Amino acid sequence: MIAPYVFISPGVVFYLMVTIIPMVWGFWISFHKWSIIWPAHPWVGLDNYAALLSEDLFWTSLRNTVIYTAGVVPVEVAVALMVALLLNTRLRGRSFYRLLYYLPVVTPLSISAVIWQWIYHPHVGLFNWVMRLLRLPTHDWLQEIGTAMLAVIIVAIWSGVGYRMVIFLAALQGIPQTYYEAAMIDGAGRFALFRYITLPLLKPATLFVLVTSIIGSFQVFSIVNVLTQGGPLDSTHVVVYYIYKRAFGDLQFGLAAAMSFVLFAIILVVTAIQWKLIGREVSYE
Amino acid sequence: MIGIGGASGSGSASGRGGAGGAGGANGVSGVSGVSAVGARAQAPRRGGPDAMRILGRILTYALVTAGAVATATPFVWLILSSFKSLQEVVLFPPTFLPKKPVLSNFVEVFRMIPFGRYYLNSVITSVIPTAATVLTSSMTGMGFAKYRFAGRSLLFWIILSTMMVPFPATIVPLYVMVSRAGLVNTYAGLIVVGLSSAFGIFMMRQFIMSIPDELLDAARIDGAGEFRIFLQIVMPLTKPAVATLTLFTFTGHWGAYIWPLIVVNSDRLRTLPLAIPYFSGQYFSFQNLINAASLMAIAPVLVLFLFTQRYFVQGITLTGLKT
Repeated sequence: MIAPYVFISPGVVFYLMVTIIPMVWGFWISFHKWSIIWPAHPWVGLDNYAALLSEDLFWTSLRNTVIYTAGVVPVEVAVALMVALLLNTRLRGRSFYRLLYYLPVVTPLSISAVIWQWIYHPHVGLFNWVMRLLRLPTHDWLQEIGTAMLAVIIVAIWSGVGYRMVIFLAALQGIPQTYYEAAMIDGAGRFALFRYITLPLLKPATLFVLVTSIIGSFQVFSIVNVLTQGGPLDSTHVVVYYIYKRAFGDLQFGLAAAMSFVLFAIILVVTAIQWKLIGREVSYE
Repeated sequence: MIGIGGASGSGSASGRGGAGGAGGANGVSGVSGVSAVGARAQAPRRGGPDAMRILGRILTYALVTAGAVATATPFVWLILSSFKSLQEVVLFPPTFLPKKPVLSNFVEVFRMIPFGRYYLNSVITSVIPTAATVLTSSMTGMGFAKYRFAGRSLLFWIILSTMMVPFPATIVPLYVMVSRAGLVNTYAGLIVVGLSSAFGIFMMRQFIMSIPDELLDAARIDGAGEFRIFLQIVMPLTKPAVATLTLFTFTGHWGAYIWPLIVVNSDRLRTLPLAIPYFSGQYFSFQNLINAASLMAIAPVLVLFLFTQRYFVQGITLTGLKT
C-alpha cells in the first residue's frame, strides 16, 4: 500500500530538508574553514571550536545570554503563575484580562522592540517621564552599559508572560474540582487546598514552562538586534547575535556553525534535564 | 515562530493531547456537579471573616489590573502617539491624549516608504507558508495516525526528537543551501523554510488519532478511496485543530524576523518585521510616522487574535501540556 507514504511524504520531506539536513550539514561545516565567497572549504578539524574557546567575545556572549536568561525566566514564570492564579478565581472580566495579557505574544517581536525603543527614548520617552515622576534617576536606557541588558530583559518579559499564563491557566482548569471538594469535606482550609492540591498538581506545567522559557531565552535575537545591536560595548552581545554576526557580518561560516552547535548542546542538556525531572512528576490518579 | 517555538516542548507527550483532553474535562465537570452539593453545605463554616474576603478580592483586582496596565501601556501609547503630529509627539513632558488628532501620519507613511509593498510581502510570505503547513501537517498527521507502514515509528520519533532543534542553530547551513539553490533575495527563499512544521504534524496526528477507525472503514466499504476519505471525512472533523494551527502558524510567520533578515537584502522584498525597524533606524526623527507604521503592521494579528482567541487558548491546551 502506498497511500501512507503519499500522505506523509510532503511534510516529512520538507521537514527533513529544513531541519535534519541543515543540522547534519551544519555539523560538517563547523569542521571547515568555510565562507560563502570562497570556492574552497578546507578541513580544519576542531580549529573552529578551539578558536571559540580562546575568544573573549565567545565567553562574553555566553555570559550575557546567561544573565539575560537569569533576568527573564524567573520573573516571567513567577508573574505568569501569579496572574494565572488570580485569574483562576471568580473574577469579573476574566476573559478580557486574559486577552490583554496575551496581546504582546501575538505582536511581532521586532516591532515590539521598535515600540519600546520609543518608550526608552532618553529625552521624550515614557520611561524617563515615569522615572522623573517617581523622582528616580533617568537614563539613556539603550546606550548605557549598566541599563541596556535590563531594557532588553524588560521587553522580553513583557512579550513572554502571556503565553506562560495561558499554559498555567489551562493547567489550573485541568485540576478536577472533586479534589478540592473532597479536601474541603475533610476540613482543609483555603491555604491547605493551595499548598497540598494546587501547587503539587501545577508542577508538570511549571516544569514545562520553565524549560521552554530557558530554551527560548537562549535563542534571543530579535529584541537585541533591533534595540542594541549587541552594544553598548558588547554588553548585550548574546549567543545567536554572535552566530548572526560571525556568519553574515564576517562571513566566517565555520565559526558560526561551531557556535550553533554550542547552542544546540546547551539546549540538549536543558531538554535532557527536563526529561529526567518529568519522570518524577506528581500524579494523584 | 512564537507559537511554534514555544510549544515545542511537548516532545515527550504521548497520546494524551488531542481530543482526549476535551473528553477528560467533560467527565470531570460531570462528576463535580454531583459532589458540589456536599461541598456547598460545608462551605460557609470555613469561609473566614467577611472583611478578609473582601480585602482579598480588592487585592486580587488591584494586582491583576496593575499587571494589565503595564501590559497595555505600550499599545495604548503607540495608538495615541500615532494620531499626534510630529510637533506634539516630541513634546516633553508628553501629552496623553492627542491635543489635535491627525490622520495624516497613516497617509504619509505610504509616501515616504513603499509601505504597501512591504505589506504585500508580509501577506505573501505569511499566507503561503501557513496554507502549506496546514496541508502538509494534516496529510502527514493522517499518515502517522491512521496507517501502519514500515518506518512509521522511526520517522515519527525523528520528528518528535528534533522538535527542540533551535532554529537559529540551523540558519548557517540553511543559508548555504538556499544560496546554492539560487534563492537568496527571492520570495521562494523566504517561503521555502516554512512549508512544514514538526509542531503541526504532531498536533494534527494527535487530533486525527481521536477520530474512530470505524468511520474510515465504513467509508472504505462504501468504496471511497484513501484520499477522498481524508478530504471528505477526516478534514471536516479536524476543523478546531486546523483553525488553531492556522492561527499559530500565521502569527508566527507574520512576525518572522531572523530568516528574512538573512535571506533578503533588497528593499523590495522586505517584510514588515524587517521594514519597521529599518524605517525607524533611517527616519528616527519621524516618531509619529514610525508609530503609525508600527500600528498598521501589528493591526492584522491583533484583530485576528481578538476574534479567535478561543482557538489560541485551545491550541495551547492541546499541545503545550500533559495534565
